[in-house]
Amino acid sequence: MQDFDFIETPENVELQRRLAGIGTRFIAGLIDNLLIGLMYLVLFLFLVIFDMNIAGKAGIESPARIWALTLVIIIAFAIYWGYFVFFEMRTNGQSPGKKFMKIRVVQMEGTGISFNAIAIRNLLRAVDMIGLYAIAGISMFFTQKMQRLGDLAAGTVVVSEELPNYSAYNDQKRQVLDNEAITPGALEATGLKPQEYRLLNNYWLRREELSLEVRSRLLPQLVRPVLSRLGRTLPDESLDTLEYFVAEILTMAINARQQTTKINDTRKVDR
Amino acid sequence: MTPARFLEIRRDTWNRLDEIVSKASKSGIRALSEDEIHELTRLYPAVAIDVARARMYNIDPTTQNRINQLAISAHGLLYRRKNIKYAETVWIFFRDGYPRLFRRLWPYMTLATALFIIGFLGTYVSARLKPSNAYLFVPGEMDLTDNKTGVSSEDISERFRKTAKPPMATGIMTNNISVAFNAFALGITAGIGTCFVIIFNSMMLGGFAAHFANHGLSFEFWSFITAHGVLEIFAILVSAAAGLRMGLSLVIPGNLKRYASLRLGAIDAVLLVLGTIPMFIVAGFIEGFITPTFIPGGVKIILGITVASVTIGYLLLAGRTTGITTGALA
Repeated sequence: MQDFDFIETPENVELQRRLAGIGTRFIAGLIDNLLIGLMYLVLFLFLVIFDMNIAGKAGIESPARIWALTLVIIIAFAIYWGYFVFFEMRTNGQSPGKKFMKIRVVQMEGTGISFNAIAIRNLLRAVDMIGLYAIAGISMFFTQKMQRLGDLAAGTVVVSEELPNYSAYNDQKRQVLDNEAITPGALEATGLKPQEYRLLNNYWLRREELSLEVRSRLLPQLVRPVLSRLGRTLPDESLDTLEYFVAEILTMAINARQQTTKINDTRKVDR
Repeated sequence: MTPARFLEIRRDTWNRLDEIVSKASKSGIRALSEDEIHELTRLYPAVAIDVARARMYNIDPTTQNRINQLAISAHGLLYRRKNIKYAETVWIFFRDGYPRLFRRLWPYMTLATALFIIGFLGTYVSARLKPSNAYLFVPGEMDLTDNKTGVSSEDISERFRKTAKPPMATGIMTNNISVAFNAFALGITAGIGTCFVIIFNSMMLGGFAAHFANHGLSFEFWSFITAHGVLEIFAILVSAAAGLRMGLSLVIPGNLKRYASLRLGAIDAVLLVLGTIPMFIVAGFIEGFITPTFIPGGVKIILGITVASVTIGYLLLAGRTTGITTGALA
């Protein structure tokens, strides 16, 4: 089992796909099967209501009742074998459950799924679902790309389409570091004032977004007051030297912060 | 170029592609205007290359991940199966593709038939020599020993005649199609499961045939089942051949890698089994509407043999003249 799958594009670039995990796929399957169960229930209720209202008067052998039963048999059969084929065909590899879990079936080659593959993987479901999908689970556990038997024969994989939320990720990261900065104990070791730390820290987090020109113009202005207050000098004012200094002092603060946290934790235990 | 510079000059491109991809993510590529599609085809290769470059510059993993996801989404939009016309595809498949596929896979059909004949004859002979053996296959209510005088084909089909025809026809049909699909799917067990399906069905038939023969009702039995049974058993054998095709592709991969062989085998097999659906529909129709009637046994036998012959004739002769086009399937 691995979490990633690679596809080679015609542009000769290797792209990475995140494979859907067994748990995610199990929940997607559960949702799909609940929907199928719901459809059966509707069919059953239809027949019951039909019997009470129409067939009740005309008799159980009436043509209307006979054709209603015929229709129900055909629809139930179509749902049993056709539910997944229909939806995966329509939505390019996403049954409703998969859509909900943001996963999709794709060919191993990276293209959209073909009819043949959809038919193969969903007819083989008959074998995969033996023992409440135990066969599928075992197969997924032992294959590199987490494929059930139907996927193996059809040459398909199920990939995750959930986009990581980048802005939230960045905000969170920033938040954590800001909070760390506020601890005065941690800053004692570095000699920085809290606002100086925050300034340098923000610069550090955003530096990848800034062009080199901006960075070499901005950073001396930020670092010079800090240096003069601490009474330190640097060999030169090149961007590399200044950034090295910033990285060093930030690391020092973070390390000090982690140590004070540990001390606080042990105190709590002592009490 | 530095990593920072790289990010700076490429950011707008990524954001633009992101816009297009998220617009298309809801209702597919149809949601895009013509200009946007042109833009997508232009931006995608550039961003695919950015993925490689981002790896080279070793920029932060979050951004690398983001560009990679963008490229994957755009790739999924651009490289997809051709939109097919369903009716035309199905028509060409049954006109040319299916008979050709059947002829190409004749060894598997032969193997399935041979297994069936062995199972049938073995059971038949054993139950003829020792009549009690037949009760391994014949359920109690079909016991003919109590009223062995005066049992006719009408009595045999009495149970069928009592049931309403349309639901019975569809019930039999859907059940048989499920058996066929299972015979195909069980092929994944290297064909062992499929062999079991063949043997099981052949032994049932052999047991029943011997049981009726033991009571001197052979003609009644055969005239009762032939109308629908010949086509039905033929279709079951075709789907079993499909299962064997897939199973043996795993066992005997030939020059191919075992996995590549399985994938090719599975495509052959699934198309072979899907093509049996019309056969089961015809057989189910006959079994529901014609088998339980009072039409003379001889006529039923002729009908059954005719229907099966037409089917086999179609499989052997169709698709030989129309050139090499096989359509999107097969």
